Parts: sequence; structure tokens; C-alpha cells
Amino acid sequence: MDFGLSVEERQIRDTVRAFVEKEVMPLEPEVLRNERAGRPGIEPEVLRGLRDKARQMGFWGINTPEEYGGAALGPVMSAIIAMETGRTFVPFSFGGSADNILYAGNEEQKRRYLIPTIEGERRSCFAITEPGAGSDARNIRTRAVKDGGEWVINGEKTFITGGNEADFVMVFAVTDPEKGANGGVTCFLVDRDMGWKSEPIPTMGQWGPASLVFEDVRVPEENILGELGQGFQLAMQWIGQGRYMIPARAVGAAERLLQMAIDYAKIRKSMGRPIAEYQAIQWMIADSQVEIEAAKWLTLNAAWQVQQGRDARHAASIAKLNGAIMANQVVDRVMQIHGGMGYTKELPIERWYRELRLLRIFEGTDEIQRRTIARNLLRGHARLGTIGE
Amino acid sequence: MNIVVCVKQVPDTATERKLRSDDNTLDRDAADGVVNELDEYAVEEALRLKEAHGGEVTVLTMGPDKAADTIRKALAMGADKAVHLVDDALHGSDALSTSYAMAQTLKKIGFDLVILGSESTDARTGVLAAMLAERLGVAQLTLANKVEVEGSAVTIQRVTDYGYDKVQGSLPAVISVVEKINEPRYPSFKGIMAAKKKPVQKLGAAEAELAADQIGLGAAWSEVTEAAAAPPRAAGTVVKDEGDGGVKTADFLSSKKFI
Ligand SMILES: Cc1cc2nc3c(=O)[nH]c(=O)nc-3n(C[C@H](O)[C@H](O)[C@H](O)COP(=O)(O)OP(=O)(O)OC[C@H]3O[C@@H](n4cnc5c(N)ncnc54)[C@H](O)[C@@H]3O)c2cc1C
Ligand SMILES: Cc1cc2nc3c(=O)[nH]c(=O)nc-3n(C[C@H](O)[C@H](O)[C@H](O)COP(=O)(O)OP(=O)(O)OC[C@H]3O[C@@H](n4cnc5c(N)ncnc54)[C@H](O)[C@@H]3O)c2cc1C
Repeated sequence: MDFGLSVEERQIRDTVRAFVEKEVMPLEPEVLRNERAGRPGIEPEVLRGLRDKARQMGFWGINTPEEYGGAALGPVMSAIIAMETGRTFVPFSFGGSADNILYAGNEEQKRRYLIPTIEGERRSCFAITEPGAGSDARNIRTRAVKDGGEWVINGEKTFITGGNEADFVMVFAVTDPEKGANGGVTCFLVDRDMGWKSEPIPTMGQWGPASLVFEDVRVPEENILGELGQGFQLAMQWIGQGRYMIPARAVGAAERLLQMAIDYAKIRKSMGRPIAEYQAIQWMIADSQVEIEAAKWLTLNAAWQVQQGRDARHAASIAKLNGAIMANQVVDRVMQIHGGMGYTKELPIERWYRELRLLRIFEGTDEIQRRTIARNLLRGHARLGTIGE
Repeated sequence: MNIVVCVKQVPDTATERKLRSDDNTLDRDAADGVVNELDEYAVEEALRLKEAHGGEVTVLTMGPDKAADTIRKALAMGADKAVHLVDDALHGSDALSTSYAMAQTLKKIGFDLVILGSESTDARTGVLAAMLAERLGVAQLTLANKVEVEGSAVTIQRVTDYGYDKVQGSLPAVISVVEKINEPRYPSFKGIMAAKKKPVQKLGAAEAELAADQIGLGAAWSEVTEAAAAPPRAAGTVVKDEGDGGVKTADFLSSKKFI
């Protein structure tokens, strides 16, 4: 068993860490100022500049196949890199990535949607959730009805990340109500100029998702992604990727936050001593690292299973559930250690606190992950007593 | 042009650094080793000169086995090959013997230009460039914030308190650089993967033809006899503004030579 990184992996990690520390973190004060003035944290040109700089170093398309110009570093390295970029709240990620399901497109779709998304010329969003169907995604109602060579889509999607900025959507609609999620849901690639509308939804986070409205939006037959009726499988594939990337980012954020708490505990004095000397504070620090380490290894295990080509869904659910809860506990303790300062907008802790709360809700709530984990065990899809098997 | 960059592995300044209790030399196992920051600027300058004039960049490191990591980083940035001077007999070498060992090695491997950082973050003697130039009998151009090579002439701007001096020498030469000289590149992803395949020549004291009585702790002319932790920072000076706060602040800053 080897829990270590190869020399190359370590250098890649260290290089990304240095890049994040030297190029991205210095933007943090400005991001806070912008956001507090109601502007986007980071201007698109600044983000593009950072991505271009990283691209010159070859940090582009981390998980994108080489034939598309990506670095194809694989799931484990992608997770490790997400831990590094997760250390900052600056909304930065390396460029050159596209949603995994766009690779299911035919050549023409790849040319029109996949490649421009990788190149950063087009922006996608993924829309399955509806006002009446969240955890119960099998119960979506948005309808697509065939009319000649076209499909006519009607319905409403909600909480769609990037929906305000996207110029096309991967939307999931019912094409056969009899079959529903078992062969009756289809994924369509729909350009904004085909007629869907978006409306921002303010949230407690810094960036709001959108609600999308489809009113007689006509979509040509060739815009079906994958096969007719096979959309639900694509949706699950899309969500599957986030199940190890979300906790990976959470680990990075939690480590950064914990370091802030450690630094603060050493200099903040109360009753004549640095608060770091009090057991109450030490236990918060210790518990936090224990939980972070657990989340780190669960995440890497899930990513590793994906890399091995295994069915990693069970491991990924465990990692996502654990990572989301961990991050919320850690940020809460870090705020507690900072006392009143932690609650102010002088420090980024409250911002992180609000943002991390989302992790327990989207891409499968805590409850849904627990439900999945329990069902896998109860039905024998997953076994106890395994080590990496 | 055949450029050799001297790259030292130093303990990460972000971690706690300490001396060994037995011989007061640096405890190199206690802290993570990183590339001496200024040496990244030296590597960058070497790569730029190579890009402009052609040639080859060789990394020269003297240090224990784990300094191989540091060599890797310089190779990942784009250097072509490396020489690693490694031998237990070198442990405890002071600046004189370090310069002896490195000069011997440089004579062996040959060079047109040797580039160093102007100072390490661990020992900080800042004398190595001068000692190397002396031992090699070549021009010494130190504290450069700009380097130009034209034919066999090499010209630098040496930073000074008042601005800079323009200093010219002829190749072969030894240069040391300051951090204002450039912005070191990050290793590229391809560079990291390629570094593995680049040649690293390991030389022991015998292979480098070093005289045993000139290296190591026994040969040191200087010795660290005692070490103490830096005292905690003293309370700052409070300037009370009685209408003349600006003047007082300026006086204070100029007394400390900040302005
Ligand atoms: C900021 C943000 C961004 C999002 N981005 C996207 C996106 O890009 N694309 C997209 O399609 N969706 C997106 N979502 C939607 C998100 O995935 C859903 O909100 C989530 O799946 C939960 O669905 P819901 O909100 O309808 O809650 P509900 O399903 O109504 O759940 C309410 C509560 O009931 C619990 N619950 C539900 N069913 C069960 C059950 N069977 N057993 C036990 N407890 C249960 C839930 O855990 C939760 O606590 C986003 C949401 C947010 C907030
Ligand atoms: C705390 C401490 C105190 C010391 N005090 C003294 C002292 O007072 N007198 C003394 O003679 N020695 C001293 N030494 C020993 C010193 O570490 C070595 O002599 C060292 O190899 C050279 O000195 P430097 O790092 O100060 O070089 P500097 O002259 O500060 O370094 C300049 C450049 O030389 C190059 N370089 C230096 N060392 C190497 C190397 N090993 N491999 C490759 N390139 C290198 C790098 O490019 C570096 O940027 C001390 C060591 C320590 C840890």
C-alpha cells in the first residue's frame, strides 16, 4: 500500500499551490471588496488572464483528454488540484474543461458545443432540478414533444448554476411520460437564442443560480445529446463527477480555514494567555484536523476508484457526505476560535461559512447521500469489509 | 553558451528551522527542503540567456541526497541537465570549503557563465559568488538586476543604495543576481514530466577530485559555536500625533534608512 505521491505528482501539486498562493490569493481582498459592493468578485478579463497564464504552464484542461489539448491528469490528480484551488475563495479554476457528458455528443455536437466550451468560448449549464423535482429528480415534468423534425420544450428549471451566464444549456426533459426516468428522459443541447429565458435567484452564497423558463422552445432533432430516452443516465454521470470534486475543494477550504484559526489562536490573548493554550481551543483544532484528514482520504479513495475504472458511486457518496459535513463543522469552529472577529466582514470566514453551507444541499443532499449509502448496503450493492476493492 | 546555475537547497523559511545539537550545523532533516528563493531567479536568468543566445543550462547543487528534489525543480523549470555534488564528507563545509568544492567541480564540467543567487536564506553569507570567481580566476559580477551578453562581453547592472552601477566583464564570468532581475517562471506541466528523463550526474568527493583536508566540518575555518533563538519582537515605537505626527513618522523612518 502506498499513500504517497510520485515526485511528479508532488511537483504538480507544489506548482499549483505556488500558483494559487502567488497569483490567486492576492486577489482575495479585491474579491471581497467587489462582492460587498454587489459586483462579481473577479472580473472576466482578470479570470481569463489568470487562466491564460496557467495555460502557458500547461495547467489547462486538467481532466480533459489529450486529443482535446488537455493535460489528462486523471481523477486523483484532479482531486488533488481541486484541493489546492479550494484553498482560496476566489472563484478561480483552471480553464480548458467541459462537462463530462458533452463527450457523449456526436462529431458535429463536439465541434459546436464541446470544443468551444473547452476553449472557453462558450459557457454551459446543467439543468435537471425543477421547482417540483429536486432530490426526486426522476420526477421531472419539463416536456419535450416532437413536432416534425423538431422538439418543442416547455417547463421550468430552477437553481441552475451558471444559468445566468450560459449561452447553452444541457436540459433534461421528458420525451416519454410512460417510461419516465427509465428510458423516457432525454438530454437536449439548447442554445440561448433558441428562446429560453433565465432569471437570477439570490441566495446566501455570493453567486446566484438561475431559474430557466422554456416556453415553446423549438430544438432541432440533431440537438439531442446521446440517445433519445437515455438522458437520466447522462444526468447521473454528470453528477457523479462532482461527488469527488466537491469534497476535494472542501478539504482545501477547510485546511486554509484551520490554518487561519491556528495562527489566530497563537496571537490572540485572553485572560493573560494566548487562547491556543486553552484546551477548549486545542480540541477544536484537533477535531478539525482529524475530520479534514478523514475527508481527504475518503475523497482520494473515491477519485482513485474512478481512476481504476471501478464503479465508484458508493465511495463517492461517502466522500461527498463526509466532506460536506466536515467543511461546515470546521468553518463553524474556525469562526468560534476567531470570536467576534470571525463574524465580521473584515475576515472572509463568514463568506466561506455561507458558501460551504451549499455543499450539504446541492448535487445530492446529505439525506440523499445517506439514503443511497444505506440502500447500497441493504440491497447488497456495496459490501462491508473491503479495502479498495 | 554553456551556463551553470548554482542552486542550493535550503530549509523552507515558512517552517521552523533549527541547528543540530551535536555540531551546530543546520539540521537539514528537520525541515522541508526548498529551492533557495534567489536561485529560482538565477535559473530564470539562465533560461532567458539560453533562449536568447542558445547553449545549455546545467544545474549545480552541493547538498545531501534529498537535494535531488531541488534539482528536479530547476530541471522542471527548463534546465537541461544537472550535477549533484553529494558526499557525507562534505557535511559541515563552511563557505570557504563550499566554494572550493564547487570551483573544483566547475573546472571539471566547464562553463562560460556561472550564475548564483546573491545570498542563501539559511546561512546568508553572500560570499559564494566572490569566492568562486576568485578560485576560478574569472570576472566577478555580483548583485545584478540586469544581465546582457554580447559576444564575449557581459554587462550587468549592480544594485546599489543610490541606484545601480554598470559593470562589464568578459566571459567566462561569475554572476550573482537579486530578486529584481526577473520573475521566475513556474515549472510547466510538461517540464515536470520531462524532468524525470533529464540527466543528473552524481559526483562524490573522490570523483570531483576534492582534497579530503579541504572539505567538511574538519576543514572549516569558521565554526558556529553557539546559537540562540531570536528575541521576541520588542514593542513598537508609538508616535503621538500632536500636529506633527507626519514629521515625526518621517524622521523615524529616515533614521531607520527606510526613506
Ligand atoms: C446554489 C445551488 C446551485 C444548484 N445548481 C444546480 C444545477 O446547476 N443544476 C441542477 O439541476 N440543480 C442544481 N441545484 C439543485 C440542487 O441539486 C437541489 O436543490 C437539490 O438536489 C435538492 O433538491 P430540492 O432543493 O428540491 O430539495 P428537496 O428535494 O425538496 O429536499 C428538501 C429536504 O428534504 C430532504 N429529502 C428529500 N427527499 C428525501 C428522502 N427521500 N428521504 C429523506 N429526505 C429527503 C432533502 O434532503 C432536504 O433536506 C442547485 C441548488 C443550489 C441551492
Ligand atoms: C546558520 C548557519 C550559519 C553559517 N555561518 C557560516 C559562516 O559564518 N561562515 C561560513 O563560512 N559558513 C557558514 N555556514 C555554512 C554555509 O551554509 C555554507 O558555507 C554554504 O554552503 C555557503 O554559504 P551560503 O549559503 O551563505 O552562500 P551564499 O553566498 O549566501 O549563497 C549565494 C549563492 O551561492 C549558491 N550556493 C550556495 N551554496 C550552494 C550549494 N551548496 N550548492 C549550490 N549552490 C550554492 C547559490 O546560488 C546561492 O544563492 C553557516 C551555515 C548555517 C546554516
